[in-house]
Amino acid sequence: MEYAIADTCFLIDWALWKRRDVIFDLFKVVFTPELVLREVRSERTLEWITDMLTRGSLALFTETPDILDIARSLVERSRMIPGLRGVDLPEAVCLAAGKLRGYLVLTENRGALMAVDLLEELRDVKVWRALEVIAEALRRDIIKTSNPRVIFKEYEDETHHRFPRRDLEVILDELGR
Amino acid sequence: MSLEDKLKKWRKLEAEAREIRRREADWEFIKKQPARIRAALKYYIEVGDIRGAARMALMELEDFRELLRKANVPTIV
Repeated sequence: MEYAIADTCFLIDWALWKRRDVIFDLFKVVFTPELVLREVRSERTLEWITDMLTRGSLALFTETPDILDIARSLVERSRMIPGLRGVDLPEAVCLAAGKLRGYLVLTENRGALMAVDLLEELRDVKVWRALEVIAEALRRDIIKTSNPRVIFKEYEDETHHRFPRRDLEVILDELGR
Repeated sequence: MSLEDKLKKWRKLEAEAREIRRREADWEFIKKQPARIRAALKYYIEVGDIRGAARMALMELEDFRELLRKANVPTIV
């Protein structure tokens, strides 16, 4: 996929990783909704975003009425299924862009992942976490290493994010290293 | 997979994540926090809902994420 759209939870963790720029070797442009940008506060993350906006690798995504209509509906629908974690508007905008524009959605929000799994109207939306982004960078040799486990560990250490062990092992197995 | 089966799968994943958050949290740090922050951290550890917890703490999302790092509470997604 050439285009992705990132939510706040993804960006604020991803921006902490020293290899964060590899994402721009995977996608032509990564969009970030204006709603998401408003949630970013730290100087470190804002500096990175500003730098990437200047280079054109990152682009602002303006929420159009069609996207907002779907997003608001998703917020409501996500709260109608007991057990499904509610999705908030910034993540819902990303999911709506995934549905309407075909962008790959980058998220670390479990509600967004659950929504794609559970809501029929989102069945065609593709969602990646940092886990899948790093795996793809390794598959394409954008990150070169003989030991992928070290790369995932590095991300965990630098962001204090934890990959689910089972998912990580499946990916390491598939990478065959 | 039926909706019920999918929900069961997610409930299991949530339970596993909750156990890791409980185990790894720096409870001494959490106990020293003001009541509202302490409640928000405990809510996050139990539920994993970062937006809800940030609202409870009256904090911005990114600031709350930083607080989770200080409290040694991992985000597991």
